Amino acid sequence: MNKTIIININSIVFHIEEDAYDTLRSYMIDIKKHFGNTAESKEILEDIENRIAEMFNEHIQTGRKEVINLDDVQRVIGQMGHVRDFEESADSVGGQHYEQEARVGPSPQVDYMSKKLMRDPDDKIIGGVCSGLGHYFGIDAVWLRVILVVFCLVGGSGVLIYIVLWLVMPMAETRADKMAMRGEEPNLQNFKKSFDEETRSFSETFSSTGEHIGRGVRSAGNLLSGCLGLIGKMIAWIMLVSAGLTLLGLFIFYIFNVMNIFGLENPMFFPPLRGLATQEAFIAVTFGFLAISIPFFALFFWLIRILFSVEKLNNYMMLTMFAVWIVSIVGIIYYCIAVSQDFREKSTVNVQKSLQPQEVYYFTEKDIRVLDASEQNSLKSKFNIQLDGQDLRNYLHRDINIYFESIDSLSQPYIQYSYSAKGKTYQLASERARNIVYEAIQEQKTILFPSHFLLTKNTLERDQQVTVTVYLPQGANVVLQKEIEHKIRDISYWECRENYPNDQQKYTEWTMSDAGLRCAQPTQSEEEEVKSEKKALLDGVEIKKDSVIHIDGSNVTIEVKDNSLKINTKKEKS
Amino acid sequence: MIAENTQTQMRKGILEYCILSIISRGEIYASDIIAELKKAQLLVVEGTLYPLLTRLKNNGLLSYTWKESTSGPPRKYYEITAEGKAVLSRLDVTWKELVFAVEISLEGRND
Repeated sequence: MNKTIIININSIVFHIEEDAYDTLRSYMIDIKKHFGNTAESKEILEDIENRIAEMFNEHIQTGRKEVINLDDVQRVIGQMGHVRDFEESADSVGGQHYEQEARVGPSPQVDYMSKKLMRDPDDKIIGGVCSGLGHYFGIDAVWLRVILVVFCLVGGSGVLIYIVLWLVMPMAETRADKMAMRGEEPNLQNFKKSFDEETRSFSETFSSTGEHIGRGVRSAGNLLSGCLGLIGKMIAWIMLVSAGLTLLGLFIFYIFNVMNIFGLENPMFFPPLRGLATQEAFIAVTFGFLAISIPFFALFFWLIRILFSVEKLNNYMMLTMFAVWIVSIVGIIYYCIAVSQDFREKSTVNVQKSLQPQEVYYFTEKDIRVLDASEQNSLKSKFNIQLDGQDLRNYLHRDINIYFESIDSLSQPYIQYSYSAKGKTYQLASERARNIVYEAIQEQKTILFPSHFLLTKNTLERDQQVTVTVYLPQGANVVLQKEIEHKIRDISYWECRENYPNDQQKYTEWTMSDAGLRCAQPTQSEEEEVKSEKKALLDGVEIKKDSVIHIDGSNVTIEVKDNSLKINTKKEKS
Repeated sequence: MIAENTQTQMRKGILEYCILSIISRGEIYASDIIAELKKAQLLVVEGTLYPLLTRLKNNGLLSYTWKESTSGPPRKYYEITAEGKAVLSRLDVTWKELVFAVEISLEGRND
């Protein structure tokens, strides 16, 4: 009893016994390999198959049987001739004037000497890229893997390289591919050795139900590569999870930013977006989101494809995504340029406001975010009126600098405000500068500087600055409160405060001189100097305790110790 | 080795000449060509013939037509072309020259 297989040769169906099938199959593979892959060889193969079919047909008719057995196949092969007989004939035919000769002749290896760059499915961790490269360059795949891992760690560029190579390199699926990959000569011995591993090359012509042999070999191979791929799979899983989380994070960030743009306040906000108007900010943040998330999405999907062997995205989808990504990148570049263009021109608007002269001027800061109920109707609350309170944060800016300058002692004191802003054109910049609201409030001796300035009419943030210069007559006394300290430029508030013995000093006193403000509180050492100076003035020359007079100019030291007097005219350190 | 090589060279050189001659007689099927060649002991296996036929056809010396067969698939019947005939007549001349050359060469030999 023998199992039979149904085969189809040139549209004729034959029942063939299993062992006969195997022999025929190996024979046909040999022939196919022998004749190579030219257009001519296809015709030759067709002729041979045709002839085999005819001979089988004759056997069936003359033998009055239904099944082709091994004997029949061997007889047919005997009649048709083994490949080695072809080789012999081809050898002797060689050297004639036919140009195709070289292909069939004894030196086909010339064509196959060059290796093909393909992925090796038998020695793979993820996709067999490294082993394929190893075959191609004749290096052990281990070293390439080490290099790849190094590249992955250094900026992750290895991941990208790997993906590109994976896409570019085809999988060596057939025996012939693998041999081409290794640069082996595809001679008949090699094929004969492993003909049953061949799974594809003849399925086109010999469609059969007996594929299970090849399948068994394949599943054994899969098991092996499965073990090897376990580490790769773990890495892929980690990458998948991190890519997924990144996508999720990006999406949440995007949603919250969009909410912010459209007025739903929340703490998640990308600061540069404030430089754009609502509509533009929305488009820009969308572009940004797409530009970053599409590569992550591609990575994510690619990993899913590997891990779950999902069908790959169709080309339209991929092209669309790629196009969207390019557009996003271009969009981001556009907004970057547009925004930076809007900072090109700077304009400053100067306004002068006079101050009521006082003997002592108290300067302090008013934090306009603190509402004082009792001052509802006072001058100070005028900022509160101008704000609608809701999105106060967007209107408040702190870029305020205060300078002090002296004027003639008889002049009227005044404050000069310089409002500056930037824009694409000078007009735009000056319009923005005019939209700054900032003014100090004088309440008799106290001059209050608001902590922030406001931008009205939805003005975009374009590097707005307020410079305040207070012009005071010489000799005026100034008290600077601690709160205003961080707004004051040019003079060192901190150094003056050091002069006070109390660490918790809440204010500093200053006097306006012709060169600007001077700290009114003398330093501690100065104080002592003043004291000794006074002594010298009062009693001529009197030296107490440390009986040393040191005169720097001519390096003279006079020392009185234990009733002896020493005068040293040389340079001494103390 | 040299002897073997020379033998095959000689055989192959005349193989195509013979094939052309056989086909020039009229439309013929491949297996009939083989039968003739086997009879002449020029060819042992069929497989060798197909590459030769294909090459001759691709060089424009032969053409073929498909004909229905009573048993089995349709068959290719080969026919010689005008070009093939021209080549054949040239080969005829060459062959006669060769025969002459060989006869001259062999004349003085005594065996």
